[in-house]
Amino acid sequence: MTQLTTAERIALYGGGGLLLIGTLGIGLLEIVAGAPHPVSGEGQIVHETLVPLSVRSSIMLLGLLLWGVYAASSVAREPPADTSI
Amino acid sequence: MVTDIRTRLLGRDVSFPVEESRLAYWLVVMRLIVGWWFLHAGLDKFLAWPFDASWFVGGAAAQTTLGPILVLFSDGILLSFTNVMVPLGQTLIGLGLIVGALTRLAAFFGAFLMTFFYFVNGETGGWSHGVVTGDLLGLLIFAMIATLGAGRVLGVDAYLARTEFVRDHPRLRYFIG
Repeated sequence: MTQLTTAERIALYGGGGLLLIGTLGIGLLEIVAGAPHPVSGEGQIVHETLVPLSVRSSIMLLGLLLWGVYAASSVAREPPADTSI
Repeated sequence: MVTDIRTRLLGRDVSFPVEESRLAYWLVVMRLIVGWWFLHAGLDKFLAWPFDASWFVGGAAAQTTLGPILVLFSDGILLSFTNVMVPLGQTLIGLGLIVGALTRLAAFFGAFLMTFFYFVNGETGGWSHGVVTGDLLGLLIFAMIATLGAGRVLGVDAYLARTEFVRDHPRLRYFIG
């Protein structure tokens, strides 16, 4: 049975957690406590958000960065066993 | 045939069975469609050469979260570099996924490019249809392809994995599927 190491937990749970906060968490908050989104004449949804979009973007970017650093740093770790050869 | 994935997540045993042939099938389907998506995007730019990315790395993009990085590439030699690397990168990523060669490396750089597309397209459009966009889903599919090593299924990576060079340099397994 395999399980994540501590470093993997930080990168994967941290990165995934931040992405989930940015999408699902803040999304739910906006639905429950935010302003309704009226549609403009051009069909564009006009955003009046509770959490500034730049803050939301930064949270998600940080999550993606954690994933990226984890993926890039994989190369420095012990290579995985290959059972196909 | 069904195989058992035996693992723990969040401190709990989350082992589950996977139908092997269906997993292999989906890996190839995803790889081919996402590969064509990028190969088409790259070739399209080469066929309509010259490609000018200044609208993407300058202008409205300067106000986005990634703006401070992007504006560095908005003129001079770094803009010329971007004008070549975006179509070349997309073409190579697409080719890599379609033939299953250096699949993990291709998928990593696919996700890297999608990060820029996601934030610039999303923020300049005011996230008018929410933050979960096609760009984010594309990024997640690249991450999934890289994680699952899809290049071994009907791909060149199955051959590369058996070469003496990769056996002697096992770290290369992080780049192939």
